[in-house]
Amino acid sequence: MHLDPFELHRPATVEETVALARELAGRFDYLAGGTDLLANYKMHLNAKPHLIALDRLAPLRERRLDRIGAMVRLAELERDGAIRSAYPALAEAVDQVATPLVRASATVGGNLLVDTRCFFFNQSYFWRASLGFCLKADGDRCHVVPQKERCYATFSGDLAPALLVLDAEVEIVGPDGRRRIPLASLYDEGGDGIRRHRLAPGEFLAAVTLPEAARRRSSTYAKLRVRPSFDFPELGVAVACRWAGDRLEHLAVATGGLETYPRRWDDVTAPFVGRRASSELFREVGAAIRPRVRPVHNTFLPPDYRKQMTELFVRRALERLAPTSGAAG
Amino acid sequence: MPGARRIRFGLNGHPVEVTAPPERILLDLLRDDLRLTGSKRGCDLGTCGCCTVLVDGRPTLSCLTLVHLVEGREVMTIEGIASPHELHPVQRAFVEHGATQCGFCTPGFILSAVALLRENPQPTRAQIVRAISGNLCRCTGYTKIVEAIEAASRAGGAG
Amino acid sequence: MSSGPLRSAAPAAMRLLGGRIPYVEGPLKVTGRAEYTDDLARPGMLVGKLLRSPWPHARIRSIDVREARGMPGVFAVLTGDRYPTPFGVLPITRDETALAVEKVRYIGDIVAAVAAQDELTAERALATIRVDAEPLPEYTDPRVGLRPVDEPIHRRGLNGTNIQKEVRQHFGDVDAAFAQAPVTVRVHGSFAGVTHAFTEPLVTLAEATPNGRLTVWSATQVPHYLHRTLSEVLGIPMHRIRVIKPEVGGGFGGKSDPLPHEIVCAALAIESGRPVKMLLDREEVFYTNHGRHPTENDVRIAFDAEGRLLGYDIEAVIDGGAWSSFGTVTTYYNGVLAMGPYRVPNFRYVGHRVYTNKPPSGAMRAHGGTNIRYSVEVAFDEAAEQLGIDPFELRARNALPPNSDTINQFHISSTSFLRCLEAVRERSGWASKFRQLPYGKGIGLGCGFYISGSNSPIHFTPKMPQSTVHLKADMDGGITVHSMQADIGQGSNTLLAAIVAEVLGVDLDRVHVHPVDSDVSPVDLGSYSSRVTFMMGNAARQAAEAMRARLVRAAAELLGAPAERIEVGHERFFWPEDPARSVSFLEALHKAMEAEGALQSSGSFTSKPMGGSFKGARAGTAPAYSFAAYVAEVEVDVETGVYRPTHIYAAFDCGRPLNRLAVEGQIEGSIHMGLGQFMGETMNYRGARLLNPALLDYKIPMPEQMPEIDVLLVGDDDPDGPFGAKEAGEGPLVATLPAMANALYDAVGVRFYRLPVTPDVVWKGIQGRRAAARRWKGN
Repeated sequence: MHLDPFELHRPATVEETVALARELAGRFDYLAGGTDLLANYKMHLNAKPHLIALDRLAPLRERRLDRIGAMVRLAELERDGAIRSAYPALAEAVDQVATPLVRASATVGGNLLVDTRCFFFNQSYFWRASLGFCLKADGDRCHVVPQKERCYATFSGDLAPALLVLDAEVEIVGPDGRRRIPLASLYDEGGDGIRRHRLAPGEFLAAVTLPEAARRRSSTYAKLRVRPSFDFPELGVAVACRWAGDRLEHLAVATGGLETYPRRWDDVTAPFVGRRASSELFREVGAAIRPRVRPVHNTFLPPDYRKQMTELFVRRALERLAPTSGAAG
Repeated sequence: MPGARRIRFGLNGHPVEVTAPPERILLDLLRDDLRLTGSKRGCDLGTCGCCTVLVDGRPTLSCLTLVHLVEGREVMTIEGIASPHELHPVQRAFVEHGATQCGFCTPGFILSAVALLRENPQPTRAQIVRAISGNLCRCTGYTKIVEAIEAASRAGGAG
Repeated sequence: MSSGPLRSAAPAAMRLLGGRIPYVEGPLKVTGRAEYTDDLARPGMLVGKLLRSPWPHARIRSIDVREARGMPGVFAVLTGDRYPTPFGVLPITRDETALAVEKVRYIGDIVAAVAAQDELTAERALATIRVDAEPLPEYTDPRVGLRPVDEPIHRRGLNGTNIQKEVRQHFGDVDAAFAQAPVTVRVHGSFAGVTHAFTEPLVTLAEATPNGRLTVWSATQVPHYLHRTLSEVLGIPMHRIRVIKPEVGGGFGGKSDPLPHEIVCAALAIESGRPVKMLLDREEVFYTNHGRHPTENDVRIAFDAEGRLLGYDIEAVIDGGAWSSFGTVTTYYNGVLAMGPYRVPNFRYVGHRVYTNKPPSGAMRAHGGTNIRYSVEVAFDEAAEQLGIDPFELRARNALPPNSDTINQFHISSTSFLRCLEAVRERSGWASKFRQLPYGKGIGLGCGFYISGSNSPIHFTPKMPQSTVHLKADMDGGITVHSMQADIGQGSNTLLAAIVAEVLGVDLDRVHVHPVDSDVSPVDLGSYSSRVTFMMGNAARQAAEAMRARLVRAAAELLGAPAERIEVGHERFFWPEDPARSVSFLEALHKAMEAEGALQSSGSFTSKPMGGSFKGARAGTAPAYSFAAYVAEVEVDVETGVYRPTHIYAAFDCGRPLNRLAVEGQIEGSIHMGLGQFMGETMNYRGARLLNPALLDYKIPMPEQMPEIDVLLVGDDDPDGPFGAKEAGEGPLVATLPAMANALYDAVGVRFYRLPVTPDVVWKGIQGRRAAARRWKGN
């Protein structure tokens, strides 16, 4: 397999990067770890004539407790004891991404923006041509939910749900300067598998920031997949909470691997804040989230099962974080 | 080749300079240009681990690595692990414990194992299993691979 | 002269065999220096690429290759009309062509081929080829193809259907047996297709030279059949074709058919006059397939009240995909490989293998024996429960004895099946676990039976040995071994060297196994049907014994002793009456060479005629059979259905294990592959379209999923096996799957008849049982 020729730009400063982005508008992709992008390029999936590599931007590689550069490799995060103990959900999510070989190259930013996946998209040019292509690449219709408007490809990052429940924000840099938004706002719930984030043209992720409050929460991430390595999530559930005694003071639940974007379920979980820890409570939270998730049949495991497991995974995560387990914060 | 540039990097302890276009993949360069064929092409998409090399000591998928991005870095392939006259302890253990059958995945496993033992000379079984969980073997069922890495560890196989 | 068998030698007398012998090529493999086909290069080498069909079934009206032919850097363009001679691994079902002729039959079928200066040019050339095709009805459900169809996939389909092979066998009186049976069980098994997924992709390098010869290097496990097929299709006599098998990165049956890309690559080399290498990408490897057939079987078994078998009544519908491949054999095997390890007094089998518009199915490790074994062993578990007999006891009561014949005239020379049962029962702690582990944990028994080499060579004319081994010893004291047996990672080179070294009494490093090269390697039929240890092993022993006889004669001359009294020591020959006096191996060799120069010897193996005289009687006959009894333990997360095997106890009868390291490796690897088929591997078709032609989406188990494995080798010597050995390459797979199924049943009280058993399936099963208010172990 080969890559079609492209030009590779390796700017050394943020300013240079932004200038390049402006110049190459619409004709480039940013290159982070490359483990997803280059595999897609080899399959001729939406390849561009220019790549702007972010690997020389030193600020993007910085790693602090409250700010993790977008170009920090997952393998570095995996070995960072301070970050691990501060954000268990993040550590658990990182540990479960793909394989050690992928994590050696893959980055935080890359995982947050990893392209959505679908049986009908992540295929070779030949395969897709034999089917007449699809909405997300080279075609005009969807084969998962037959219609021509919306792409149902599935968001398949592991870090996003974990960072969502930790109230992470992302620093974004682009031709119009620098901005910081809640991670939740990065994902476009009005979009689809193609219009999957709210970055403006030319913008890139510079860092993830985490509030001090996140370190006072207990949190966890659980992933459903067929094999304990390699596989993308069929479901990812992150939960963060804080208990005052046995009273729930704060609760955040986020899911990934189900729909075209990761989601945080504040409107569902809000009514449960203030309740006392109990198995009923845990069950109720899970049961409240289940009907809201809408997986489609474009991954290995059937959507109905993934939906059922969402309820269970939420319940189990809460059980794990229950105050009696000593994880109270 | 449009955009081809001269790229310098360390390869198995020796500096090399190659001319490569931006889209040149490290695995292709190693196998086709430099004729170092120990790194294997099993899937070309990062899902088998047969192409594993060490970049600055860390196991890396050479099939998803651009040559331009290893500029100035140190690449170690399976050809650079043994001294000319003696196998590396991990290699010896793989032979003695039957950890290689068809051998096609073996270079990748050995590099993953060598990197593990350098970082953690006395890994637990679970740590070994985790360290090789990006390398696919279709012959051995991994049993003897894990045993070989354990044996290399006991023999002081950080190398 | 002392060329008699070593069978009588006490095991202690063996220096190498029976021990743990590291692979002779190990140091090359661990250093990256072992050469696989894609590691080779020839001067001026071109890149060969294939244009594949996007249609599952279509009639080709025209193919326009003019633009491709005219492109700079393109040296040859081929379409099906150039080499249309049909071929197939079985001479009776030649229905494949190198490139599509008239029709394409599956998505991925080869339509055209290009040889160009590089990959990019080749791909650009392929993109210019215009294929005008008329889509035809696509057939993806084999049951549809059992009846006449509008457009049969092949003309040779039975009576206008897509049936490729129909087998009907009846021994005894099954209806009478079932009529009087107090206990009958019935299992409908349904099995997704699985594929070999060897790590080395398919690859061939070919070069035609001006001396009229064609050299082909290929990742093949059966160089001889490739050799024949190249000759047939390309119209070149075999003696002008040289087939070389470099190191092969796994085969498992997937490199045993002569494959179309191998022929196309050679054809491109002929057409272009340049060496051509064709490396398939992973997706193409999935399309080439020849993996285990998607299968549905219906197995009824009758027992008397004491649990004695009364009869089997078996039906199978087998999804063959686009071609015949080994399918005729597959169709028989799906019935007759149920003939062991139990005595079956009445037997009926109806099997159909049906063409579909999918990539061809073929032979995969434990070919034909895996899916039927699953249904039989699950049925035994159900019968044991119904009869109130322990599953071990039920099997022991029905075990075939050694030196017996089955009702269809398979001869069982040796079987240690009872010892397998005893050993695994004890080691696994069965008595204190079965039905006694807490809910969610389970233990199950599954047994196995497999051929140790197909007795019928596929090409039975001319009648020749199935294996030949040549030895050459020259003045350097090295012994070169030539044979066309194909080491694909299973360790046959090592075994070959070890047998020679054992017989001659020399160190292993004296023996060099020459890479397979048809110019020098005498024919051996290659690596399939678990035949290598048995057949090549016997041939190697015979060759080594012939050479030993001459060395002994020379030693006797030097020692002034009678040759028949000379014994072989380590690197020396001596006369026991005066053991202080001996001659070294080298002295004896040099003495022997005075008469004739370098010593050469030859050994061969031809299996005896066997089997009955009815139609299909040869299918499944083998010079010996392997037996297995496995116990699996599983842990199920009953809320998610996620489960994992925690321990597999594998008692196996491979006769005498000659290289324990290799035998264990085969068993562990077989268990891994069996677990893959059970737990998640599937050729996931939507209609004719394969949704997962990639290693990310084809779920080969990872190291975290592997159980602890205890290998128990308990076989008695087989009377005809080399040094008492039988196969260990395929039989070890089959018991894995039913052991898992029966363990899952013990854990959660749910039977699984459809493979793979993914977590959602287990979860659904548990939900279903609860919904029906059926309790299991108190839950």
